[in-house]
Amino acid sequence: MKTQHALNTFVEETGGWVASQLEACTRCGICAEACHFYEATGNPEFAPVWKVELLRRTYEQRFTAGGKLKLALGIDRRITDDDITHWSKIVYEACTMCNKCAMVCPMGIQLGPIIHGVRTAMSNAGAVPEDLMAAVNKQVQEGSPLGATQAVWEQRIEWIADEWEVELPKDQKGAETLVVFTSIEIMKFPDNIAAIARILHKAGEKWTISSKGREVVNFGFYEGSTERTVLFMKRLFDAAQELGVKRIMVTECGHAYDALRWTAANMMDVPAGLEIVHIAGMLGEYVRSGRIKLKRGAFDDGVITFHDACKIQRRGSHIKEPREVLNILAPNSFKEMSPNKEQSICCGGGGGVIAIKEADPIRYAVFGLKMKQLQDIGATTVTMTCSNCRLQFTDSVQHFGLDVKVRGLSQMVAEALE
Amino acid sequence: MASFNLTPVERGIMRCRHAGTFTPEEVQTLAVFLRDYRGKLLIDLTGSPVEECAKHIKHLRPMMPVAAIFGANLPPGVLDIDKSYYAHDVQSFDTEEEALTWLRNQ
Repeated sequence: MKTQHALNTFVEETGGWVASQLEACTRCGICAEACHFYEATGNPEFAPVWKVELLRRTYEQRFTAGGKLKLALGIDRRITDDDITHWSKIVYEACTMCNKCAMVCPMGIQLGPIIHGVRTAMSNAGAVPEDLMAAVNKQVQEGSPLGATQAVWEQRIEWIADEWEVELPKDQKGAETLVVFTSIEIMKFPDNIAAIARILHKAGEKWTISSKGREVVNFGFYEGSTERTVLFMKRLFDAAQELGVKRIMVTECGHAYDALRWTAANMMDVPAGLEIVHIAGMLGEYVRSGRIKLKRGAFDDGVITFHDACKIQRRGSHIKEPREVLNILAPNSFKEMSPNKEQSICCGGGGGVIAIKEADPIRYAVFGLKMKQLQDIGATTVTMTCSNCRLQFTDSVQHFGLDVKVRGLSQMVAEALE
Repeated sequence: MASFNLTPVERGIMRCRHAGTFTPEEVQTLAVFLRDYRGKLLIDLTGSPVEECAKHIKHLRPMMPVAAIFGANLPPGVLDIDKSYYAHDVQSFDTEEEALTWLRNQ
């Protein structure tokens, strides 16, 4: 039964674009070397080309003469429920959808979106890992996958405003920018919220948060469910329209930025003229335009490095801005890890992987690559613009007993405001 | 006097003693400590009124590392938190000995 739902999805998804991508693949395997899960574990099943194998097999068996013949002759076999269960682990636990594989593919195949399509099939087949699905269901029912229910959100926003002594404008019509935080920030990094508030006030931004569109994280996108991805984005678009803002500012979440900025338009009606921006880009913009001024050298101590988040830096191209900021904050201490920028490797916690307990051993193995990068340059502080990456770093640094501070870039900026 | 103080108990365990009313600066400092600290925490609430403890513990709870609390009869539900991958186990005990024993086994 599982199989039929998955197959139906594969068939629905196999339009001209997907077919051309699958046909273009020469099985060269170069994508494997770009995959941090393959590199960290050596498991050939983690090669991106293998992650899309079920989709490829369905395409061949359904749409190509060769595939039909192989099936008829018994050279190939039909996909089974066991295959679905097995591939579910591969695409959810050993893939962060970072899409670095697409960067190295000599044929230019966009493996990330295709793997996302495999997740969609798994979702329709009811083969999503339990932990991830529990978080999705919570977001459907409570508005947050991490327990930031309406009441909790209201209480914490009030607490942050009181204890960090910042103004957090709420539900203000006439604001130009709707700022949507992640529940990771709400629950775990409240000082990041205060920091961003200080920056926005200093920059003279007319902004508001919304009690209706209060969660930027999109676990439906991790799941691969179009229905739920749209549901969660609609909550934000509705809130933006109700408030009449010009833009939505995504704070520290990479997948949410991808979903809202690029994916939404392919899935649903997006309000016309509504701009989607990310705090990483805005920090650079504020500094360039002189809307905020930073104390030069405020963090010139030890070795500070920057972790490029897959969806914000590689996908979103906000590569220069954090570096411009860090070259002011720590002109002598800022040092790049290698590889970096668009070639950076993922932290291992993205794409919902960090939410799946069973994936912990692989997640830590992957972080081992990042750990080596940090150690190679003697990093004492690592900073980033994604809360999910930050959670992975915080957790993994503790797991490995590393003496490295993990910081949000917005917090560093707020502390250095003149 | 600071509203909280931190002293080592043994390797991997720190005692955080709540000793009075928090100022905003102290809440901010404590939040940073809770986030950056990599060991386990023995939270001693013997030095402050239960209302003050409950007010702040509720908000600081999501940021806490693995922690054992003793010294105050906290209202029911104050430590309840949505089970999520970011949350660590935090439990309340009647005595310091019970708290420490539990903490050592975590």
